[in-house]
Formats: sequence, C-alpha cells, structure tokens
Amino acid sequence: MTRQAPDFMSTEIPSDVRDAVHEILKNHAENDTSAMTAESTLEELGIDSLAVIEIIYDVEEKFDITVPDISEIEGIEEQFKTVGDVVTAIGGLVVKARSDSAAE
Amino acid sequence: MSARGSGPGAGPRIVVTGLGVVSALGNDVATFDEALFKGDVGIGPITLYDDGPVEMRVAAEVRGYDEKDHFSNSQLTLMDRFAQFALLSAREAVADSGLDFAAAANDKYTPGNLGNRTAVVHGTGIGGQSTQDASYHRLLVDQILRTHPFTIPKLMPNAGASQISMEFGITGPSLTTATACASTAHAIAMAVMLLRSGQADVAITGGAEACINFGTMLAWKALRVTAKDTCRPFSNKRGGMVVGEGGGTLILETLEHARARGATIHAELTGIGMSADAGNIIQPSGDGAALALANCLSDAGLSPEDVDYINAHGTGTAQNDPTESAAIRKVFGTHADNVAVSSTKSMHGHALGAAAALEAVATILALRRQTAPATMNYLEPDPKCDLDYVPNAARPMEIRNALCNSFAFGGLNAVVGFSRFQG
Repeated sequence: MTRQAPDFMSTEIPSDVRDAVHEILKNHAENDTSAMTAESTLEELGIDSLAVIEIIYDVEEKFDITVPDISEIEGIEEQFKTVGDVVTAIGGLVVKARSDSAAE
Repeated sequence: MSARGSGPGAGPRIVVTGLGVVSALGNDVATFDEALFKGDVGIGPITLYDDGPVEMRVAAEVRGYDEKDHFSNSQLTLMDRFAQFALLSAREAVADSGLDFAAAANDKYTPGNLGNRTAVVHGTGIGGQSTQDASYHRLLVDQILRTHPFTIPKLMPNAGASQISMEFGITGPSLTTATACASTAHAIAMAVMLLRSGQADVAITGGAEACINFGTMLAWKALRVTAKDTCRPFSNKRGGMVVGEGGGTLILETLEHARARGATIHAELTGIGMSADAGNIIQPSGDGAALALANCLSDAGLSPEDVDYINAHGTGTAQNDPTESAAIRKVFGTHADNVAVSSTKSMHGHALGAAAALEAVATILALRRQTAPATMNYLEPDPKCDLDYVPNAARPMEIRNALCNSFAFGGLNAVVGFSRFQG
C-alpha cells in the first residue's frame, strides 16, 4: 500500500522545530556540521540510512509524534536529500500534530 | 613432561598468544593479574541500578568504566554493555598478540588472507540483557510505546562476535555459543576444533556478559542461589554465588602460525572435554562433570598425575561445590589430594556466560606466574568438600598443566586444559 506524501511545502515551520531538527541531525552526522545549511545534503553530512532510522526515532521522542513508515510514502528518496527536506517534512508533521491536539 | 595434545582430538598444536580482560578485578590484564594474585575481592553493593524497595544482593561489577572512553556515539548506539566488554577485551588481546589485522583489512574478502583465516567464536549466556531490561521497563512501566530502533541488533547474543569481526575485519567463521555458564568454555572448545580442522589459523575467542540489572538479579534471587554477603566457594557457611560481569578474550593460534611470525606464547592449549548431564536442568550431576574432566585429560593425552592446578567452576552454591569436588575425586583418584583447586569466582564473581573468559585468563596467568590463585573468603572446611582449595592466599608452586572447569545450568559441561609452553 502506498500513500501520497503530505504537502509539507506550504507549511510554515516554527523556529523551535527547525532548531530541534537541526540539533538531531547534527547529533547523528559523521562529518563536520559547522557549515550545515538547509541545502546541505544528508550524504555530505555523513548521515546514512541507519542514522536516518535513529533520527526518526529521536524526532518521535522529541515531539511525541509518529512518523509513518517511510516505505509507505511515494517518492521518498527524491524528497529527502537535504537538511531542508527533513526540516520541512518533520516540521509539517509537528505542526499538524500541534493543530490536531489544539482542536481536541 | 608437557602434553602434546596427543589424544583422540590431536591435530596441530594450539597456543595462546594474546589475552584481554574486563572484570570486577580490573579492566585490563595487568590490573586483573595483580589483583587476582593479591587476593582482592571485587564484590560489593550494587551500583548499576537502584534497588528501590527490594532487598537485593551484592554483585561483582566492572568498576571505573565509562563507555565513552572507549567507543564513539555511533558505536554506542548499537552496543549493549556486554558487546562493549566483548570488544574491549578483544582489543587488548589483539594488541597483545601483535597480529596486524589492520594491514590485512584492505583485502579482507580475499580467500586465504589473515582476516579470512581467522575465526571469531564468542560465548555469552544471554547477550544484550541490559538492553532487554531497559526496553521492557520503558514499554511496560513507563508506558512509552516506542522502542529504540536498534534494540534488536543490541540485544542479539551474537552481537559480541559481530562487533569483534567488524572491528578487526575478520571474515573467517564467526559464531556465538550460548550454554549458560559454560558458554565461553564451549566457545574456546569450538575455536580449538576450527583450528584443528584447518578451517582457521587464528581464533579470537572468549566471552562477555553484563546482566546486573533489576529483572535479572531478581530472577537469580528467586532461584535462591545467590549470597547476601560474598562468595565463599567450597567453604562451610557459604551463602551462594555472586553474579559478576565482564569479558575476556584469548587469541589462539596453531603453533606453526605463531612460530612463523615470532609471536610471544603465553601457554599451550592442550585439551578440551565436553559432556552433558542428561539429568536435571538445574541440579548438577557429578557424573557429567567427571565425564567432561576425563574427556579433557584424554583429549590432551594427560594422566591425572600430570595436572597440578584446577580453576574450579566453584560457584559457592550448596549444590555445585560438593558435586564438583566429588567429580574431581572420581577422575583424579588419590592424586586429587595433590591438585590445587581454587575458585577465582570468590574474587571476580560469577560472570555467567563469561565465566570461562575470566577464568581461562586466570588459569593462563597461573601457569605464567607458576602460582595458584586463592579461593578467597574461605571460612572453614565443609566436610562435603575435601580437596585443597588454596584458601585465602595465592600459592607459588610448580604448575605444568592446568584445567579450567565450567559446568552450566542445563547440565552442559566443558573443561579446557592449558599447559606451560615448553617449545
């Protein structure tokens, strides 16, 4: 079963979320992150697929959200190349979770 | 006369060329060696977790150990404490052996390369028990319904063997033995068989255990075999075993391989003997233990009179100590009175699956020093244990050949024979 990726690009990401995701990425990067920008690729930072699994876990822990199995999202590999991609995707999930809980 | 491994299992002679250890008596061989022969006791109150309201027992914990001193964050996220002990002791043993795996690592997938001609055989009773314990605590007590993504690779019992293989680029036969408290003795025996069969020239063998945690210690307590104060093997008024932890590694090589590279030889490994009780899952059978001892002597081509020292299984329980003593008497006859028998568990605790890892190192150090380590904490003779247990003080003596006993729950037994190397 596949599902369409949510439209993250239109969502405004709060700065606390952005900072926290950056911190998590830095914790799992094998390479130097001092010059990390939104355009830095995960590959450049030394973040491999194993590290991505840990990053997802850390994000779930930090924001108490559930990230869907990435294999269920269509075109995932093209969408997650850079730091900006991750911030946008995770940020979208966090914003949605926050608005869902506010609506309850 | 030193033995030549002339028994039915005879093949190439096998020697020990590297040692490594992490234990309650010290986190390297030099510290362990000094403490062992001084008679230090590494048993004390539990510090690894909070007992809470439950009356708990003492333990023999690895002390002065900070995992961050030895491993990167990306390694630690994949390594349980037991695998850390496995790798740490393997690093020391490899460095001690002088084997250059780094040079061989570039073409580690080439058949016949050093990495491919080396085996890793590693023992553990349980594996990543600390990871299991912490994981279930989160799930069931904290009600956090999310486990760390590397819980599985951390807890699997073969993680120790795998971490060693990965660190040194070992691409030869690599596996884990799990036979409770005989796990490492069986690992050493399997390593010997790989060397004798020609499957490998070098074996990195040993074991590790780290299960001093709340759930496991409560389970040991429920079995009513653990001591409240300390471990007093073979002594009257002994209170039971004391759970320990740690890791130990031996580098085994065929004599030919060791000689060709001019290696320093610590001892010769002359025999292995295995048996199963085929009796009760907990209650030990003296006959099964005696069979393993006899098989080891036969494999080594030794007579009882050739053996001067036995590093006993000596758990300090009501059940083990008289049974093991009777087994030794059965196999050694009148010579049993001339053999020094000690349990170093009185100092480093019962490291369970890593027991023979610590005790094989202790046995080899005894051969090297020509001194039998003591059975510490010994109070007075137990009429049911009537051998010479080297009470409370190490004893300088001639040691030509020595045995290291492991008799596990489940009735699975293994004895390893080491001898002073005489060229």
